[in-house]
Amino acid sequence: MTKINEMTMNDEKQTAEFEARIARGEKIEAGDWMPEAYRKQLIRMISQHAHSEYIGMLPEGKWIPHAPSLRRKMILIAKVQDEAGHGQYLYHAAETLGATREEMMDAFLTGKAKYSSIFNYPSDTWADVGMIGWLVDGAAIRNQTMLAQCSYGPYSRAMVRICAEETFHHKQGKEMVLLYAHGTPKQREMVQDALNRYWWPSLMMLGPHDADSPNTPQLVRWGIKTKTNDEVRQEFIAETAPELLAAGLTIPDPELHFDEESGQWIHGPIDWDEFWQVVRGNGPCNAERLGARRQAHEDGAWVREALNGYAQKALST
Amino acid sequence: MDTQWPRWEVFKKDTAKKPYQAVGSVHAADADHALLNARNVFVRRPQAVSLWVAPAAVIFSRTAEQLEQGNPLPDVDQSVQQTYQIFRKATHRRSMTFMDHIGQVEAPSPAHALQAAIAQFPDPPALAWWIIPADQIISSGEDREMAAAWFDPAKTKTYKHQSAYGFVSARPQGRRRSGAKDE
Repeated sequence: MTKINEMTMNDEKQTAEFEARIARGEKIEAGDWMPEAYRKQLIRMISQHAHSEYIGMLPEGKWIPHAPSLRRKMILIAKVQDEAGHGQYLYHAAETLGATREEMMDAFLTGKAKYSSIFNYPSDTWADVGMIGWLVDGAAIRNQTMLAQCSYGPYSRAMVRICAEETFHHKQGKEMVLLYAHGTPKQREMVQDALNRYWWPSLMMLGPHDADSPNTPQLVRWGIKTKTNDEVRQEFIAETAPELLAAGLTIPDPELHFDEESGQWIHGPIDWDEFWQVVRGNGPCNAERLGARRQAHEDGAWVREALNGYAQKALST
Repeated sequence: MDTQWPRWEVFKKDTAKKPYQAVGSVHAADADHALLNARNVFVRRPQAVSLWVAPAAVIFSRTAEQLEQGNPLPDVDQSVQQTYQIFRKATHRRSMTFMDHIGQVEAPSPAHALQAAIAQFPDPPALAWWIIPADQIISSGEDREMAAAWFDPAKTKTYKHQSAYGFVSARPQGRRRSGAKDE
């Protein structure tokens, strides 16, 4: 028997033990053996997730100077600040797998790494801030609650912490949308317009249909995901649609209905061409978002330089 | 070129009665910088009474799986002892924290300290250990005034808590907050 075959057999045995650990509900920690593909998938997912938190500051941050009250301004500042913090939790989780902060930032700023498609849509009115909180954060929480069960300890813990904070993002958005939905005609018009623009991208951000998501079965078997994209999407619609309708808003999908027999919400076809266009960099705001991120990085150069000078001094003593 | 600052693990103590718990890491040039970053990243909300930071590079880390291969002890001068802080993870339960601080031991090396910790803290069985030289851990300090200045501001920002929004529902049975009147 050749050496390579021995290694392969050893690898298969370790993989079987690894999968048994996951089946028992154990968490995998940094230092434990893991298949290389598990490590790579996690670095990809966690760093993309971190980039999404960072980019997510932009559509809402734009509205901080225009908040209609001091209360709303404080809420929005805290929310945007949270997104920066969530990025930090996630970069930390990816670092436990051997990725470095520099590599990840580099992949992000050069456009090699992806981030959530949803942040490439514009935030045109103040009502978008509320709708993003209710729908986008609502969809994200569904996904993140699932990921909090993830088999990789550091990712799971980051998700638990993020979910606890993100619930505030969701609620403040929902509160705002409901207030306007019962407000003046102008306010109702604004939230309806925001819903019209954000409903479909919110469904898309939960990812392709299961049939078009070839990685999902392995991600589920390894406990990285514990639900499929369609399952999470169904949960999101079931939670959100009845309340949007009860608020007197119109969901921009004439085919959307609850099917008594299957107990499922049936929605119209999702425009996946649009989704892939946005993912590939051709969404309404891709260039603007990445441009703003790069600009912020360049504008911060003098701060890093100053701190590097300080660090050189600190590290040499 | 590697321009990253060193990574520091952060330990947060939520209340006087709770242990320091590992919450994650930050990059920083030195301990003071690490403490500042730790506060900004991990204490945007209550609660905390104290923070510890330690350079990730000095942490002796072993999982239960790694310990199945044994814990070889280095040949060192047994008379030169130092204090190690012991952190342990003991459950697979869903949590936002990793290791809990459970005590300290005197030992001539990190591996010796781990051996002593396994003997001294057998229950519950550990899933993972961190052994950190006590002199490498920097604290935000026990001074009450300092702690108040660092950690109290988060307490007043109640709008950061989902509970501040009560039960928000569009359904008729839902009690709706009246919301801000100035919009």
